[in-house]
Amino acid sequence: MNIVLNGVTVAIKSPPLASLLTVLREELNVTSTKVGCEQGGCGACTALVNGKPQRTCLTPIAAVDGASVTTVEGLGDSDHLTAVQQSFVNHYAAQCGFCTPAMIIAATAYLEGNGSSDREEIEEALKGHTCRCTGYQKIVSAVAAAVAETTFDLTVTTPSPNTVIKSGGQT
Amino acid sequence: MKVVGARLPRYDGVGHVTGQTQYVDDVRVQGMLWAKALRSPVHHAKITHLDTAKAEAMSGVHAVVTWRDVPLLEYGHLSALGIPADEPLLAKDTVRYMGQPIALVAADDEDTAQAAVNAIEVKFEELPTLFDVRNAFDEGAPKIHQWGNWYPHFEGDMDRRQIRKGNIEDAFDRADKIISGVYRPAAIEHVPLETQVSLVVPEPDGRLTIYSCTQALYFSLAVVAAHLEVPMNRIKIVGGTVGGGFGGKVDTATETLTALAAMKANRPVKWRWTREEEFLVSSTRAPWHMEIIDAVTEDGWILGRKMLTLHDSGAYARFSPYGLTKHSFHHTGAYTIPNLHFDGYVVFTNRTPTTAMRGFGVTSISFAVETHLSRIADELGLDPYEVRLKNANRINDTSPNRIRYTDPSSVEVIQALSEAAGGELAPAYAGATRAPREGEMLPEHLIGQLKTEGH
Repeated sequence: MNIVLNGVTVAIKSPPLASLLTVLREELNVTSTKVGCEQGGCGACTALVNGKPQRTCLTPIAAVDGASVTTVEGLGDSDHLTAVQQSFVNHYAAQCGFCTPAMIIAATAYLEGNGSSDREEIEEALKGHTCRCTGYQKIVSAVAAAVAETTFDLTVTTPSPNTVIKSGGQT
Repeated sequence: MKVVGARLPRYDGVGHVTGQTQYVDDVRVQGMLWAKALRSPVHHAKITHLDTAKAEAMSGVHAVVTWRDVPLLEYGHLSALGIPADEPLLAKDTVRYMGQPIALVAADDEDTAQAAVNAIEVKFEELPTLFDVRNAFDEGAPKIHQWGNWYPHFEGDMDRRQIRKGNIEDAFDRADKIISGVYRPAAIEHVPLETQVSLVVPEPDGRLTIYSCTQALYFSLAVVAAHLEVPMNRIKIVGGTVGGGFGGKVDTATETLTALAAMKANRPVKWRWTREEEFLVSSTRAPWHMEIIDAVTEDGWILGRKMLTLHDSGAYARFSPYGLTKHSFHHTGAYTIPNLHFDGYVVFTNRTPTTAMRGFGVTSISFAVETHLSRIADELGLDPYEVRLKNANRINDTSPNRIRYTDPSSVEVIQALSEAAGGELAPAYAGATRAPREGEMLPEHLIGQLKTEGH
């Protein structure tokens, strides 16, 4: 078995009924997919499988043999964030951060499917994801802004003690 | 101004959106074992038989830890304050709640560890159970805790947290009406997306490195060191990145047992709870039973309050005495009542032990007080905002524990709530401020407190 993980073909040694989540975390050391419930309830393990968001905890590795799998490690790195990632930072859409990689995966698929900035449509697209910190509003705002390509006064996103931030940003 | 009013980025924002933030479960070490716990399947029982031989003999099993392996079996969450301990790290002869850990197995993988747990022979002799705090005081209630059914160590040897202030009998003599209510908020699970987890690595120099999701790192350090009977400089705890806590990761849930398994196996061990364990066994916000009896005047002043609080601690004390103490200090809410008679008990039940959750001990009383204030307004036929504004804390009023308020915001908050709800206040209330009481806002029953309660 093999998968195309973030653009690179990798051979899989785990048994066929091992979950994609376990393969990613324990065999391939890709840890952005989180173990939240292991029963399809919380969404924290979501990755893109052939471009569509999928629960990796409920996906036997044999069922995705040969598939393309994308996690946030395959999106932008810290110097080259995607619009969705940048928007999550600027809108404070991540607090503890545990649900964030999977939220970004779902939001990325939403944008690639030409999703609108309508809040109800965004909520529908993210409804399979549980967040216990934010109350969701900032997450929806982040996705809406990413869709609308809204820019922000929050210009510096890499923490630095010498950072000077302009005041009066969008609320 | 470069910072005030600026939108500063979160220091951890980029890590979160790139998947680079390292939670405990993301830490990678070579040769790591996985742990699973044998937990009590019953709510209250004597353990009559415990045999781990078959589990220990299984291939892939590297350590089985029971109470015999714990250097100091009982150490309480408040032991550092001199309060006696009541909870064993692993059950020895009695289990007092369903899910209480009895043994921990470390094995090559989770399936092997679970198979070994299933191979442990354990027998129970079930005992009567108690699930509702109110029943703890009933005649014939089963005795479920070594200390009796409620905690006996407030201020050394008091069995309650009590507050006596002013002259409660006089307040009730002068009342136009007595208004009572009973309030019972239920338990709430915190549901952090990251379940309880720790990873313990025995280092070559004999020290332990503990990766922990604790919200209280130095507290956990002391608890682990106490149970293991080692100096704190033998333990290094790596924490600070928590996948949601909300108070539920203040208790030291996994670190000590994982450390014992790692020491016994001399291998790194990770213990990560399942979502089922998180729901069924991890500590919750407590259920509470609160009875409020207020002496009120027909124009809405609260002259005195008698209150009984029963705080469901679950099977062991942990932090509950602290939570109840906070609760007692807040038992008049945002309002000033000069004559008080409060008794609060930390009651044991056969529920999973309860703990902090966002405003430990205070959300319960806020719910009860605000519901009761509305009840008072309803029963007297008065505007609920005006009743609140009358009694709201002002500068120089005093709290139940006799702290003089120097800058209370109660009045402005209530005015804002009224406005947000579309209400219209009479001019005297719309213009009220936090300034010291005078005129109509200084009725006779509050003059006394100003003269006599100062510090």
